[in-house]
Amino acid sequence: MSPTRYVIVGGSAAGMAAAQSIRELDAHGDILILSAEADAPYYRPLIPYIVTQKKTAEEIALMGQGPYTARDIHVRLNSPAISVDTGARVVNVLGGDAVPYDKLLIATGARPYIPPEIKGVDTPGVYAPRTLADARSLAARAGMARHAVMAGGGLLNLKTSFALLERGVAVTLVVASPEVLSQVMEPDGAALIRAALEKVGLRILTGRNVVEVLAGPNGVSGVRLDTGEELPCEILCIGKGVRPNVEFLEGSGIVVERGVVADEYTACSVPDVYTAGDVAITFDPITGKRIMTALWTNAVEMGRCAGRNMAGHPTVYSGTFGVLNATQVADVPFVSMGIVHTSGTPYEVHVHATANTYRKVVFSEDGKRLIGATLVGDISCAGFYRHLIRERTPVNGLKAEIIGQRLHYGHFIRW
Amino acid sequence: MKEEILKKSIDPTVHDMLAVAEAAHLETAWDRYQKQLPQCGFGETGVCCRNCSMGPCRIDLFGDGPTKGVCGATADIIVARNLLRMIAAGAAAHSDHGRDIAHTLVLTAKGKGGGYEIKDVAKLHRLAAEYGIPTEGRTKEEIALDLGKAAYAEFGNQEGPIRFTRRAPAKRVALWEKLNIDPRGIDREIVECLHRTHIGVDNDAVNLILHGLRTSLGDGWGGSMIATELSDVLFGTPKPIWSEANMGVLDEKMVNILVHGHEPTLSEMIVAASQDPELVALAKSKGAEGIKLVGTCCTGNEVLMRHGIPPAGNFLQQELLIMTGAVEAVIVDVQCIMPALGPLAGCFHTKFISTSYKAKFPGATHIEFHEEHAFETAKQIVRTAIEAFPNRMKDKVHIPKEKSALMAGFSVEAIVGALGGTLDPLLEAIKSGAIQGIVAVVGCNNPKIQHDYGHINLVKELIKHNILVVNTGCNAIACAKAGLLLPEAAEMAGDGLKAVCKALGIPPVLHMGSCVDISRILVACAAIANALGVDISDLPVAGAAPEWMSEKAVSIGAYVVASGIYTVLGIAPPVLGSMSVVELLTAGAEGVVGGKFAVEPDPFKAAALIVDHVAAKRRALGI
Amino acid sequence: MKEIFVRLDRCMGCHSCEIACAVEHSKSKTLFGAIFEHPVPKRRVYVEWVKPDHKLPVLCRHCEDAPCMHACISGAIRRTAEGVVITDEDKCIGCWTCVMVCPYGVIGRHLETHRSYRCDRCPDRDEPACVSACPTKALVYQTVDEFSANVRHAAASEMVAGERG
Repeated sequence: MSPTRYVIVGGSAAGMAAAQSIRELDAHGDILILSAEADAPYYRPLIPYIVTQKKTAEEIALMGQGPYTARDIHVRLNSPAISVDTGARVVNVLGGDAVPYDKLLIATGARPYIPPEIKGVDTPGVYAPRTLADARSLAARAGMARHAVMAGGGLLNLKTSFALLERGVAVTLVVASPEVLSQVMEPDGAALIRAALEKVGLRILTGRNVVEVLAGPNGVSGVRLDTGEELPCEILCIGKGVRPNVEFLEGSGIVVERGVVADEYTACSVPDVYTAGDVAITFDPITGKRIMTALWTNAVEMGRCAGRNMAGHPTVYSGTFGVLNATQVADVPFVSMGIVHTSGTPYEVHVHATANTYRKVVFSEDGKRLIGATLVGDISCAGFYRHLIRERTPVNGLKAEIIGQRLHYGHFIRW
Repeated sequence: MKEEILKKSIDPTVHDMLAVAEAAHLETAWDRYQKQLPQCGFGETGVCCRNCSMGPCRIDLFGDGPTKGVCGATADIIVARNLLRMIAAGAAAHSDHGRDIAHTLVLTAKGKGGGYEIKDVAKLHRLAAEYGIPTEGRTKEEIALDLGKAAYAEFGNQEGPIRFTRRAPAKRVALWEKLNIDPRGIDREIVECLHRTHIGVDNDAVNLILHGLRTSLGDGWGGSMIATELSDVLFGTPKPIWSEANMGVLDEKMVNILVHGHEPTLSEMIVAASQDPELVALAKSKGAEGIKLVGTCCTGNEVLMRHGIPPAGNFLQQELLIMTGAVEAVIVDVQCIMPALGPLAGCFHTKFISTSYKAKFPGATHIEFHEEHAFETAKQIVRTAIEAFPNRMKDKVHIPKEKSALMAGFSVEAIVGALGGTLDPLLEAIKSGAIQGIVAVVGCNNPKIQHDYGHINLVKELIKHNILVVNTGCNAIACAKAGLLLPEAAEMAGDGLKAVCKALGIPPVLHMGSCVDISRILVACAAIANALGVDISDLPVAGAAPEWMSEKAVSIGAYVVASGIYTVLGIAPPVLGSMSVVELLTAGAEGVVGGKFAVEPDPFKAAALIVDHVAAKRRALGI
Repeated sequence: MKEIFVRLDRCMGCHSCEIACAVEHSKSKTLFGAIFEHPVPKRRVYVEWVKPDHKLPVLCRHCEDAPCMHACISGAIRRTAEGVVITDEDKCIGCWTCVMVCPYGVIGRHLETHRSYRCDRCPDRDEPACVSACPTKALVYQTVDEFSANVRHAAASEMVAGERG
């Protein structure tokens, strides 16, 4: 029997995790990854370190680090797919050639969303940093910039903000919502984070939008807000979410509903085609609703699952939470996961706040299951919260420990 | 109310204040206990030895690891040595308290007591007679000086006997002499504990524990009894008195002063100073309606017994009292004062005032108290409290409303008085079975047991079974809060006890004072045994400490057992690492001293054990 | 390959394993040196307590399907040839994703160095420090086969003892 030809479109988290997973199960198959980027696969979340110049491209390379030890995985760079012919079972690559496949994974990820209402986004100095190439360019411009404006108060923009602050650039964050991180927590929890951000020197303007880029001889010279305020700056970073890269699938017969639709085995509507990562539509195990996420960790998990399915080991993907974030902002760590936006919902919510910590624990309406948690300042027990949410475990006698953030593994043992 | 809070105590004021503590992020002993979990099993079972620097050593009770310390000490030896050290510490604490009272008596006799006087001359004469001190034609000061010096001498006595031990029935004394556990001197036995537990001295568990009994007898029938008896001479022997208890006794309109600790020398003078017209006027000038003195722990019991000063709570409520935000000063001397109070007081306007050179605390204002200038110092302390009143943070004031009326003051003399001047009616009630027996329920609080749950349920069960309860210390305050120290509480008693209480107008639970006043209970037992012509170990009596925690409680337990009394503990002492020590304490001891220990955390089961024991003793007496 | 096993009935809650672990992960590798070091060396084993009175040491299981390793966004977590899942402190960026996904709660956060840490099975020792320190052998370092054989022997001797009455 000839070796299986695995083709993976997209060389980031989901694609590489799938490749690794396939290789662990199938020692002989041909694994080919088609990447649109010019750089070999890398840990995308580390690109702020390229901006700070604290890490080199080699240091953030994916292959050979962490779990990525598999051999004989071939990555073709600069090779964006332009279409898929599911009848002929080939992927057409920009430049002309058609790559045949036995098993295909769509893992093309997503790209930044640039709101059309912002005028002048083509001006040099406007970024929506996503790739290593973007980061290199931003790193170079940071050297000549004094001010940067960040449009959007999400995690990506916060991380880029820190990178720019480290480079000595003054940063102003312009947020449409009443508080930062509105996608991952409610304003009461974010207040501590905002205080930490301000403490390290970030200027934050809430309830405002950037509407126009002002251009000068060296590119961006400022931005205008919907309030009419003008902020001088040499850099504008747009962090307003992402959109899946699905356009090349037009005419392929693969069902796309905003993202690529996957069944519980990560399979698409066409045989032998699978999908994973930011491009895929999956479901939230708590609500059962279809969701798309743009998280490295989720993409890896789904990619590994897709890899197993492609290698002939049927594996159910258990879905992921819409919110599943952990990080540290200045000196404040936080974790947010599951259902955390609760205003106007019937869920049972317990909030405990001190000067330095904030904890919100969300139970189902009947109080029997944990469905979400936001921990700011003290993230102990986070793993147990995730486990309980994900497994939909009845909380029974553990409720006081859950509310009090006193869980440990001993509680999960049957004595 | 959160279930978690409800589980910590049965007292609604505690629930109330724990909710306040939680909202204000104030830490309590319960929180700190949680943070200690799990507690080290080697310490819990008593098999950790730190007595020399070849160690620390510990014994693996599962047998795979070490079974001996570096010196070769087995679990039996280590457990017994550790127990002996606990007894030594407990006996030292009680006895040093006794010494301080003797010191005050001597100073007062010499006219150097800064405000004290001899209040119970009759008792002075009785005690002088016991000591063979002449009284004829002598002033009370002359007699008191001799008595004080005689008491002093008991501490340094080298050859014994300690005078008050001879209050025990002759049979008991003979037994102690035979077993060689008749204490020779209070300090001597404590010192010998430390000698014996030094590396390479006493390595026989039975021999160690026998000396523990001897040391504890020097506490119960020595140091503690001296403390009680001389306190009565100086400050008056308690008589039945009305008051009220629990946190609701704090008064938002008054300058609230909390006395906490143990020795009545300080608190007696604080009582006097708080009634000083000049200071009351000062309080009013600061916007208060007056001065409200309240107590906690044994100091609270001392001033309750003699002055009706209301106890505002027991041991585990000390932090909560500060958290009311309505206490201007906490005045402390020695023992059972949590070092947590200093930092906590710092969150409020409360002055935390330490007074003893022996006991200093972080965050405390130290106003050192010396008997020679007692009243002047007391006034200075009260003034400091009053001056804190204007600093009270109104928005932080939260006083739980619950309080309960109580009747206290049952010294042996007061009980005999209530009986009409003789023990006979009590003996008759015991013989008839109206009162099945007498049980002392004493001791501390401990976050390992729901606060007051052990105390209250045990006492209620006992009186239901027609057992007269006598109590002291934090149990007495628990019972006061629960309304058990009221004559009406007789309704909760069995028919026999109810009838006796109603006839005499007394509660079914008699408050006999502070922890050193357990010596009063020994005196009562001796008197009953002598009246019946039997030993104490023949009596239908028992002791219990459902929520104990201190080393003093270990010493108490030891002298109660050594006096021939069955004793039930709510918390296991750290001896479970040695089966032979456990066997000795819970079984073997009975054949030797006529008393033994039992451990039972469930107050209902503990009550059942005691009821059975009392019944067995009655059968043996043929009543 | 040996693993650290816990005999649940043996733990006394004495925390000796925690102390030994912190000392082993100190610069001085002595207790009296370790307690004065800055940053303070961290333990990677945690003695926990469960009602009514169960005590147990919890430490990294070095899971076969290590969720932390796959979730790590900086490639800092990998499995060694010996099967030990280790965190490379130089690569860790302190994002705490591993903390969030660990179902055992055994990944620590070093607040001074802003790095995560966990049991590394004491690479410089024949037997992990926690195992050596355990006075009751509640922690044992054995292969799966050895451990299950011992469990079988213990069960068998209990049965024999039971039959003898």
